Amino acid sequence: MRYGDNQPFEHLKLPITWGVMILVAAICVVGALMFLGDRRGGLDAASYGNRAGFDRAAAKSNNLLSTPAHFVSDRTNGIEDYFFAVSENRVLKQKIVELEKYRDAYRQAKELNRRYEVLLNLRTEPEVESITARSVSVSRGPFNNNRLIDAGTSKGLAFGNPVINEHGLVGRVVGVSPDVSRVLMVTDVVSRVPVMVARTDARAMMVGDGGGFPRLEFVRGGPDVLKKGDQILTSGDGGIFPRGLPVGEARRGVDGVWRVDLYTNRGPIDLVKVLKFKDFTQLPRAEEVLRTPLVTDLLPAPPAPSAASHSPSASSASASSGAASSSAAPASSSSTSPSSAVPRPRPAAMSQPVAPRPQPATEAPASASPASVSGG
Amino acid sequence: MLAPQRRPRSSSTRSMTPSASRRARLYKALFENRTPRRGSGGIVGPQDWLFYPALMAILATVVLATDLPLSFGLDLPEPVWPVALAFAWPLIRPSFIAPLLLGVMGLFLDYFWGAPLGFYVISLMAVHAATLLIRSYIVGQDTWVVIGAYSLAVLLFFTLGVVLTTLDSGVVPRLISVFEQMFATWCLVVFVLILLDRFLNSDVRFN
Repeated sequence: MRYGDNQPFEHLKLPITWGVMILVAAICVVGALMFLGDRRGGLDAASYGNRAGFDRAAAKSNNLLSTPAHFVSDRTNGIEDYFFAVSENRVLKQKIVELEKYRDAYRQAKELNRRYEVLLNLRTEPEVESITARSVSVSRGPFNNNRLIDAGTSKGLAFGNPVINEHGLVGRVVGVSPDVSRVLMVTDVVSRVPVMVARTDARAMMVGDGGGFPRLEFVRGGPDVLKKGDQILTSGDGGIFPRGLPVGEARRGVDGVWRVDLYTNRGPIDLVKVLKFKDFTQLPRAEEVLRTPLVTDLLPAPPAPSAASHSPSASSASASSGAASSSAAPASSSSTSPSSAVPRPRPAAMSQPVAPRPQPATEAPASASPASVSGG
Repeated sequence: MLAPQRRPRSSSTRSMTPSASRRARLYKALFENRTPRRGSGGIVGPQDWLFYPALMAILATVVLATDLPLSFGLDLPEPVWPVALAFAWPLIRPSFIAPLLLGVMGLFLDYFWGAPLGFYVISLMAVHAATLLIRSYIVGQDTWVVIGAYSLAVLLFFTLGVVLTTLDSGVVPRLISVFEQMFATWCLVVFVLILLDRFLNSDVRFN
């Protein structure tokens, strides 16, 4: 029987190529609507919220594949460690002798720093709890750089948690499920990390572009604020990342653009540590934060300007005061920035809810009193 | 092993015993580089040239996404396997199932690689549509023509990817990384030629 015999539509010939083209156009329209409706660029929790189930399934399959490879790799490393144990032990003993000097200096500097903090009643960031996870799946393409790690909300992870490894900053959590989380790498094209140069304290924005060397944009300061080999740290601006996480070193690319040679390029990203750092809401209570004195209130007053340059020096003093206050208390910078343009009013009383004004050290909150006693 | 002079012919296969017929089919499958027929009617169905290659592409994508660091700081390659199918399927035969499957695979890539939804759907559909338009000019041409057309298809895919990424994020992706993944995807031309050889060139009943 030939095709079409005794069929109800035997004389109806569908132009299959045009039919397929219409179907392709329809799917393109659907895809374009999905693309336009996706809120991935905003990087909020809802943009990845509908992918949690898929990530769980994908991570399980990749975990099945990576577990035997890691097992073999661990055994191979164990054999290698066995044969090189003697020479490695000798090197480690030398390193211990060298590092003991740095340990003693670190302890002294830490104690001195603690006393300064108590004397100035400075607000420091609290200790951040962290958990360890293993990377099970990775997307390395130029359009997407992210990973799946085998830890999720069951271990207390949340959207926005920073992710580091033994070398430096890896990225941050952008999608969570009970067992699996998706980590957006700092090399992804939608990644923006506020950073600073450790040598000059200059601020910049590290922008991922799908490669292993993110760009440094919006570098503030003169032409000498950045040199090859400068260490790049997270600045903590914006509250997404804590301040001071190591990121990499500055390099100038062949195109003349400053880039960051990431510390995480020095080795494979296998085990990672997720910091349970959310944002500035994790800091101490708002009342306590607002009672923290500004550094400019504690430092001695600057010398009186001459009469000829009275108004420009006053404006520069107020500008430096604002800059110092923003660096000393970044959490309250948003609330105090409008008042930095005008003379800051003196507070009337502590119980007044409006006009947040830092108190002097003698009126420190109760939580800091024992420390000040011990420090004094 | 069967001797060459005992090579069975299709006209005499009907008079063979079942075991001899089975041996003859096995011989053809092994030594004549032909596909063993599946199904009762011996017709190449959609599962042969659509579903199994799609499944294989998804499996290959999942396997290559495993976090396995290699020696010398290298990583596993990450080619976009569905691009090969988006190019090969319209050449084999225009089909209503193929774009639907490609749409599903594009969504899979969007979810699996964390891309914005619709990103890979649009890119794969563009390759599929372009190949469908020039299908009649490519089918039957020399292998080098097919390879050249596939290279253009890969270039179209990644150009569209760069444009969509720039529109979405405001950042132009690093072109060195784009060329790396483009090269890995271009190497799948072997996969394309195998598909065309199995389902287009060696199966006259298909056309």
